[in-house]
Amino acid sequence: MRRMSMFPGSDPSNLAFTEDAIRHEMENEEQNLVKKLVALSTRERIRDIRDLPMSCEEKKHIRSQVLAFKSAKQSRQFTCFTDCSENVSLFFRRCGYSIRSVRQTLELWQGIMKEIGGKFGTSVLSYFLFLKWLLMFNIFSFLVNFGFITIPLLVYDPLPSIPPNVSFRGLEILTGAGYFNYTVMYYGSYSNETLVGLVEYNMQLAYFFTIAVYMVLCGIALILSMASSFKTNYVLAAPASSGAWQLLCSWDFNITNERAVRQRKNNLRVQLKESLSEKAQRELLTLSEKLKHFGVYLGCWLLSTGLAVGCGASIYYLCQYEQQRAGDAAGRSLLREAETLLVPFVVSLMNLVVPLFYSLFYKFEHYSSQRRQIYALVVRNVLLRMSILAVLCYYWMNVVARTYSCWESVVGQALYRLVIFDFLFLMLGSFFGEFLSKVIGTTLLPSLGVPEFDIARNVLELIYAQTLAWIGIYFSPLLPAIQIVKFFILFYLKKVSLTQNCQPPRRTGRAAQMQTTFIALLFFPFFVGALSMVAYTAWRLTPSEQCGPFRGLNNTFSVVGVWMDDLEEIPGSQWVVWIYQNVIRSEIFYFLITLIILVIIYMFWQVTKGRKELICLLKQQIVNEGKDKSFLLDKLQNLQKSQPNKPKLKNQKRHTGRRSGTSALIQAMLARQQAQNEYDDGY
Amino acid sequence: MDYTNEPDCKLPLALIVNMPELKENPFRSRIVESFSEDGMGNLSFNEFVDMFSVLSEMAPRELKAIYAFKIYDFNVDNYLCKEDLEKTLNRLTKEELTPEEVELVCEKAIEEADLDGDNKLSYADFENMITRAPDFLSTFHIRI
Repeated sequence: MRRMSMFPGSDPSNLAFTEDAIRHEMENEEQNLVKKLVALSTRERIRDIRDLPMSCEEKKHIRSQVLAFKSAKQSRQFTCFTDCSENVSLFFRRCGYSIRSVRQTLELWQGIMKEIGGKFGTSVLSYFLFLKWLLMFNIFSFLVNFGFITIPLLVYDPLPSIPPNVSFRGLEILTGAGYFNYTVMYYGSYSNETLVGLVEYNMQLAYFFTIAVYMVLCGIALILSMASSFKTNYVLAAPASSGAWQLLCSWDFNITNERAVRQRKNNLRVQLKESLSEKAQRELLTLSEKLKHFGVYLGCWLLSTGLAVGCGASIYYLCQYEQQRAGDAAGRSLLREAETLLVPFVVSLMNLVVPLFYSLFYKFEHYSSQRRQIYALVVRNVLLRMSILAVLCYYWMNVVARTYSCWESVVGQALYRLVIFDFLFLMLGSFFGEFLSKVIGTTLLPSLGVPEFDIARNVLELIYAQTLAWIGIYFSPLLPAIQIVKFFILFYLKKVSLTQNCQPPRRTGRAAQMQTTFIALLFFPFFVGALSMVAYTAWRLTPSEQCGPFRGLNNTFSVVGVWMDDLEEIPGSQWVVWIYQNVIRSEIFYFLITLIILVIIYMFWQVTKGRKELICLLKQQIVNEGKDKSFLLDKLQNLQKSQPNKPKLKNQKRHTGRRSGTSALIQAMLARQQAQNEYDDGY
Repeated sequence: MDYTNEPDCKLPLALIVNMPELKENPFRSRIVESFSEDGMGNLSFNEFVDMFSVLSEMAPRELKAIYAFKIYDFNVDNYLCKEDLEKTLNRLTKEELTPEEVELVCEKAIEEADLDGDNKLSYADFENMITRAPDFLSTFHIRI
């Protein structure tokens, strides 16, 4: 049957076998599929059957065939052992399923996400998913810190040692100093002893390793999610304005709200009209216009960089001024503590106001695509925030660390204040950015309209907030608790603001690539910056003498050295000491690892290049095959028309189209059948 | 309609299409039809589960691409010809484009996506376009 010839000279009575041939072919395919599935392991088989594009009944049919095949094959090798192992694996699989279904019912905010996705679409939903993901980081960090660091201390010494003249005044919630300074909130209250209770618990090692392992796990989680995001989203992407993409891939099936659907349809219509009329208007810019645009770009970039640097410098001088004022007058008065609120206030104010200037810039600049515009805005915002954070970190590392006695707690308090003020300003920003814009847009200036939810700006604010928490973990182990509360309230606040004040985004598309960009931004520069700051603190700076778990040591990292010295005495753990001496402390190891990684990256890069060339070749091959196919079909039809006497065949029942990937042979047979029907209709 | 006594009963198209998740979707009747065995939109329970499992976020890209192709293929001939694309466009824009504009857009779409030059989109062309659209996995998704 496979060799059935379609060329001139073939026997016309072969047409009678078309129906049987098709059925036979389909059965063959089914047998091949069953054989392939039998050869796989159980888990892969389940996954493959689940991914088959068939209805439930057909899948059950295939599965029963596969199981019958397997049991026929295995009945000869039946032993108790295989039976037991199969039962055990079945038990574990069923446990896995029930755990997964329980986890799904416990998912946080499932109903709200559905509502938001239904009204505003997938791109706005991605902001809330990102918020939920960051919340998970903080919950994990809080559990780990509280469990390993705080609880042992509380068990050992439940009452904090507060000096007699300090009491709780309301201001502590904002400043974090005063009463809170002596609680377990900050680094300073942790002891450096080995707590003797049920077991001997070394606080120094616990503190160091908890923080280190948490940061490493965060880094791994970020790298993995970045990699998987790149894999699914960073492909040879078609431009978002192409007609085929807009027609077939752009409709968001998530949207269930009638008004949102109507708005989307309107937007799509407007975009299609724009793209149709753009073709007529694509003009080439003259040289002078190009120079003018370039000049405008350069000017805007210089201005924005200058603004960022200026903000950083002003924060530095403000910090110095504040320290002078604190150094001049002694004593702890309410005013003195309130003055510490000045720096976070100014930082948050800058983070709120300066990006508004940046969004004004795009009225003057003309970017060729909207995506470049968003990227430019994101880069400028990132520069601003990074410069402010860098200046603050430099000030803390170099000035605060040398001036104060318990400087880690001071840094922890500064970070606490930054987090609180960031939260207050986020709320304010939501109020001004969205509520007032809506009021202005509907009553005062109706031409502006209701504001859109600015995903880029909001995601950047989230990333910045998380960076503060990451920097602060070393100095204030319970800071993630504040962050959890903050994110919780922020979620509900943003949801209410979104539903009351905003409309769905007008331009759809590229949400997945923006998501990848945001995760990449979260990792580098923000997480890497936070990690390097904590690493620098642990490695270079001398811990304070009077407080904290590392008092008396040269640097924090020497805790591990001390531990290794202790371990050398214990006979069974020589291998740990050996690893420490020869792997972690030796430079050659890191050099070799870097070299190997570079070589592997180079090889993968070459493989990718080769694959891209292969894709081009294959595309060309598809085009050629298409031409071949149409040539052969034409020839077939001409043949049929030129032979007059044929037996009339009943009409082939229309193929229900369940197997849209049927082989070329079946397609050719169907085409021939269609040609025959046309011929018969013609006569 | 009693499921417990008569597990083979089929829900009619009109009932399913009124679900809140599907009510406003412009392709609702096509979605239900492409999962029904008789092609008319009457779903048994298994087919209903099939439909929402393909539209869930766990379904792989190939499975979603196959069913998306079926949904857009209005005349069920395994190809997205120009009439199919025109019907899709009319459903997406509430028929507010002029017929010339509709024709222009559909021609442009076929020109861009058709690789083998037969003036209609086969499944391979469609799949190739889907692989270049990373948002597809998240937009072709209905939450329940």
